[in-house]
Amino acid sequence: MNKQPIRNVELLTTDDGHCIRFDAMASPCEVIVASKDYQLAQTLGKLIADEVWRIEDKYSRYKTNSVCSAINKSNGQALVIDHESYLLLNFADTCYQLSDGVFDITSGVLRHVWQFDGSDSIPCDAAVQQTLVNIGWHKISFNEQQIVMPKHMELDFGGIGKEYAVDRALLIANEFTELPVLVNLGGDLAANKPREPNLPWQVGIEHPGFVDRKPMVVSLLKGALATSGDAKRFLLKDNVRYSHILNAKTGWPVLQAPRSITVAAPQCIQAGILATLALMKGEQAESFLAEQEIKFWAIR
Amino acid sequence: MQLINKKTPVNIKAALTIATSALLGTVSVAGHTQESQKVVEESSWDFDTAFLYYSESDRVSAAEAIINAKKTFENDQVLNLKLTIDSLTGASANGATAQPNVQTFTRPSGKGSYQTQANATPLDDTFKDTRVQLNAQWTQPLAQNYTGSAGVHISKEYDYLSLGLNGNLAYDFNNKNSTFSVGLSYFQDTFEPEGGIPVAFASMPLAYGSEEIDSGSKEAFDATRRTDSDDKTTADIMLGFTQVINRRMLMQFNYSYSKVDGYLSDPFKVLSLVDDNGIAQDYRYENRPDSRVKQSLFAQTKYHFEQNVVDVSYRYMWDDWKLDSHTIDSKLRIPLSNTSYIEPHIRFYQQTAANFYQPFLSQSQEIPEFASADYRIGEMSAYTVGLKYGVKLSDGNDLSFRLEYYRQDPKDAGHQAPGALKNVDLYESVDAIIAQVSYSF
Amino acid sequence: MSVLYYRPHRTSLFKYSVISLAITLASGCSSLGVQPWERDLLAKDEMALTSSPLDAALDDHIYFSKEASSGGKSFGGGGCGCN
Repeated sequence: MNKQPIRNVELLTTDDGHCIRFDAMASPCEVIVASKDYQLAQTLGKLIADEVWRIEDKYSRYKTNSVCSAINKSNGQALVIDHESYLLLNFADTCYQLSDGVFDITSGVLRHVWQFDGSDSIPCDAAVQQTLVNIGWHKISFNEQQIVMPKHMELDFGGIGKEYAVDRALLIANEFTELPVLVNLGGDLAANKPREPNLPWQVGIEHPGFVDRKPMVVSLLKGALATSGDAKRFLLKDNVRYSHILNAKTGWPVLQAPRSITVAAPQCIQAGILATLALMKGEQAESFLAEQEIKFWAIR
Repeated sequence: MQLINKKTPVNIKAALTIATSALLGTVSVAGHTQESQKVVEESSWDFDTAFLYYSESDRVSAAEAIINAKKTFENDQVLNLKLTIDSLTGASANGATAQPNVQTFTRPSGKGSYQTQANATPLDDTFKDTRVQLNAQWTQPLAQNYTGSAGVHISKEYDYLSLGLNGNLAYDFNNKNSTFSVGLSYFQDTFEPEGGIPVAFASMPLAYGSEEIDSGSKEAFDATRRTDSDDKTTADIMLGFTQVINRRMLMQFNYSYSKVDGYLSDPFKVLSLVDDNGIAQDYRYENRPDSRVKQSLFAQTKYHFEQNVVDVSYRYMWDDWKLDSHTIDSKLRIPLSNTSYIEPHIRFYQQTAANFYQPFLSQSQEIPEFASADYRIGEMSAYTVGLKYGVKLSDGNDLSFRLEYYRQDPKDAGHQAPGALKNVDLYESVDAIIAQVSYSF
Repeated sequence: MSVLYYRPHRTSLFKYSVISLAITLASGCSSLGVQPWERDLLAKDEMALTSSPLDAALDDHIYFSKEASSGGKSFGGGGCGCN
């Protein structure tokens, strides 16, 4: 996984603008700009791709030189962090608090016992309990200067990194141009304004893993959409479907969660977290979002 | 955690909104601009490296390597460190004229001599020098729309030391479309040439210390020397104005004033003292004024076509040696693909002679107060044609190659050549090849 | 991961670009310069006044040592014994 994929930016001309494609964070990514200016599109696409790759390099746990890996290898020693990392940790802290500990960026070690390959290999509870020892955001102390993480624990920004990159990409787009821009990183996306005055972006959402389902078309004037859930990632035993959404407190999958939720919010990272938090509510996923008066689309 | 409410629905949405704006920064466009720039550029060193080879046919060749390291800190502070190493070998014109016979010259050290064949321009092959130069430059915003910069320079070679300081202040206005800048720089150079600094117009002494026949003495050599080392100071002031014309075009205008004081002669350069038949009777060390005031006007424009970028500049320079010059430099950058480009380059240069330039001294005339036969301050035209190819590698680093041809054509500014000098080339052209590789990472 | 597509839109784009072009021209006449969001081309490395600083430094050194003029664009004073 450490092998660097080729980082190319591909530019396509569409009817009324340009589409820039590149690969990042193990996903196909697109930037759509409603401008005929080839150079502008090229420059903008490169700026955005560079920023997304920067975030990937900095926060992917697969990258050995990332900040995330440095923290994971810190072995209990205090590690100096920069302002951006501090802000991300702060955000993760808020999510942990809001979810009452169910959403926890230290829960990644659970992947050692849970492999959601569609099989029926449910781990034994003892193995899960053993893993839980190395989970718990509250065991981590951090401030603006440094982070101290106990040995054997691991951080994983996978739950917020891509959405954060979408928001950062749009910030850069707004700084660069006033033209309508839509950024899509593997299905998590945001637009800065309607593609034409009062004309929304028509976004087709293909729910992951649902091969037989027609893409759902959503109109988006501006703001973000993020999707959580993956129909391909589950375990099935004794007719019980175990989703890959794990409760960090119990170490066990959230039962009766929708298979996929798409949420609309002003910022992509908000949408992503709301979708994930909703899935973690299991049976109450939809009512949780409805109570918040949040626009969402769920598939059960 | 117990302190946290058993979240009421409104709490989560509101709390996430607050957390999101804390993460992504303020909502104002200006705030975004600063923030994203900062994060992108922060905490990494950018390295630019270049290696250049310069070679004149039958004369000097030089190799020069530069490593430039740049770091951008928070608040747009920039530190730039540059290391330059160059090495020069080969032969350089010593100022004497070609003759119908073989000529013998004493090396600058006084120890040993070299010979020049008949009808060939005398070249001193003693040149061999390595230079190390370090520059450090700090640039930072000082206040709204003001940017300050300060730097130090040190350059050391075997016989030369140069220390320099500079400062620059830039003021942006008209929505950062216009910039006015003022810069000052000061150099203090010390020259300690091998064999010391000759007395003006002293005769080139005979070589000593070798086993060759007819050698001179150290005493006779030393009598032609004035001192071991001498100094030169250079003070520059530069006023600049940059204007964005439109989305595709910008222009820059500079005026600079430069005052150089001290030892401005070249201790290795001589003039032939010829008789009425044009035959050299003696070689006399040159002598230049001890001050020079240079001024220049410079204009540059860059224009972005649909794909190509053109860069044209013009410089007019004049000084109180009555030397003036015109330089036109133009480049056209042509993208070949999304990741590569070629850039043809053409440069024209033309200068008039300094008022004390003369290709030789005549026995029939009095020795003037100042004289130099250095073709570099004589009338001359020159041109450069070149091509650069640059490519962005798949890892995002830049690689480029540059190949150029440089030709200098010294001109006769109306000096009467007596006798034998009519039959030799007093104004020999110089051809050079410039090859360069650059890599940025 | 999900993949999305966009329905083609052909409505009134032409009119929109004509209007925006007119606005650009009108504002362009009033004074020199651009708005911050029009700096896309100017922001490119190749549009910097000194787009290749090392090339410039090397050229300055060559011409400083081979010709009687120096500087103009940047400080061209002393610095080496090559002249």
